[in-house]
Amino acid sequence: MMSGRALVSRFAALLACVGLLLIWQFAALMLDTDSFPTPWEAIRAIPSILGDKESLINILASLRRMAIGFGVAVAVSIPLGLMMGRSRAVASFFNPLLMVTYPVPKAALMPIIMLWLGVGDLAKMLVIFLGVSLPVIFHSFEGAKAIEEKMLWSGAAMGLSAAQRMLRIVLPAALPEILTGCRTGLVLALITMVTSEMIARQSGAGNILFNAMDMGQYDTVYAMIIIIGAMGIGLDAAFERLRARLVKWSEPGFDIPLSFA
Amino acid sequence: MKAVPVPSRSNVEANAAPVRKPVAAMIEIDQVSQVFRTSGRQDHLALSEISLTIGDGAFVSVLGPSGCGKSTLLYIVGGFVSPTSGVAKMKGKPITGPGPDRGPVFQEFALFPWKSVLGNVMYGPRQQGVKATEAEAQSRVLIEMVGLKGYEHFYPKELSGGMKQRVALARTLAYHPAVLLMDEPFGALDAHTRTRLQNDLLNIWERDRKTVLFVTHSVDEAVYLSDKVVVMTRSPGRIKEIVDIDLPRPRRRQELLLDPRYQKYVVDIERMIDDTSEEALRP
Repeated sequence: MMSGRALVSRFAALLACVGLLLIWQFAALMLDTDSFPTPWEAIRAIPSILGDKESLINILASLRRMAIGFGVAVAVSIPLGLMMGRSRAVASFFNPLLMVTYPVPKAALMPIIMLWLGVGDLAKMLVIFLGVSLPVIFHSFEGAKAIEEKMLWSGAAMGLSAAQRMLRIVLPAALPEILTGCRTGLVLALITMVTSEMIARQSGAGNILFNAMDMGQYDTVYAMIIIIGAMGIGLDAAFERLRARLVKWSEPGFDIPLSFA
Repeated sequence: MKAVPVPSRSNVEANAAPVRKPVAAMIEIDQVSQVFRTSGRQDHLALSEISLTIGDGAFVSVLGPSGCGKSTLLYIVGGFVSPTSGVAKMKGKPITGPGPDRGPVFQEFALFPWKSVLGNVMYGPRQQGVKATEAEAQSRVLIEMVGLKGYEHFYPKELSGGMKQRVALARTLAYHPAVLLMDEPFGALDAHTRTRLQNDLLNIWERDRKTVLFVTHSVDEAVYLSDKVVVMTRSPGRIKEIVDIDLPRPRRRQELLLDPRYQKYVVDIERMIDDTSEEALRP
């Protein structure tokens, strides 16, 4: 027999979702305009989007761009961040560049990039690449910087060369921090993906959303928001499972879900 | 003239075997000084013209107040830090960098947190090209020797400080260094754990009598473990005195604590350190 408190903490997430839907439903009924459908109307539109071949192709194209942009960004950013963390010269060369690019919204570069590369896949993948790179570089940098010097000395005493120390000590030791950066990067990839498709409207999930908006199909607009949100939650959860497996050695020895009971 | 033989694998192994060719001086430190350049402030002279010879198989402690440069001296012998002037030699050859002939054990343990106890101990032998099965067998023996049988598959974060330091010792012994460099290895441990590790270290050392350079700020620890105690002064770090500890081995802690000779060494050395700190206070 569960106590009331345990029941609440067990079903907290579900309660929060139901609560949000109730508020949405209530607000939609109160406002009673065409541009704000009730949650039921929005949810009802989801199967017709996912059942439509063209929409599916669009969404898959979005995911493909996102995967390539994210993959290339991670492959470039991790080595760069690690080298910055271990070499003062490399860090002082790249730091100013990153400081300047950090606060610039990557979507704001989209018009310029479209001028160079057109409105196709390449421009969008480049924006995603830029959006993902910074958090991954930053966290790899911090992770590599925080490594205890004596750990590297121990490796050197065993005969590891500088390159081997980088690959076999710095990389695994910084992995928890690197993966934290990748997780942020993954969510940013999704955000930049949708934004890029809103600006360069040619295909993709963001394009479906804005086309529906133009045509006044507000249930489809909200349904797309739900679909994109669900993709984000799904990707994040999958990545979190992968992360927990890769760095289980660094997790604290207990496993208690957040609760203040 | 005959060419100097290049040390081959078999030579190295011969050194690790119980019957060793005695080398008069394992480590020679010759006029070593270390200056740390600090931004803004005056340059800091950490070590001033240190000369010290450590014989093969000797257990030598370097004792001094914090900030006397004793750890820096150990890092120079390890090849982790280059001296500003002077030279440190290992078996007659100048030390230019770290190498598996000198195995460090640090106060901070510096274990590889992503490797299990077994993975940490096997790391050195594997790096040296020992086959996985053989490296594992050797490592299991060492893990048992340091009293951690049954913990082979634990990660460092799951171990206490004393256990971590046992793993660090086993990890270093695993690649058969000719010299152990111990940098305040028991400094972060509680008194009880510290005593147990000192006893275990002595037992292990008395089996194969490796050369040990041991840095500490504990007078009891230095006298209990060492053949020779190097007492240092602070700012700049200089050798004040080298005391030969002429106490019988194997040493047993309880007997030693009651031994008036042991007590006299401790009191004499404590006086030396008191003198040096007064000197340091003088303007």
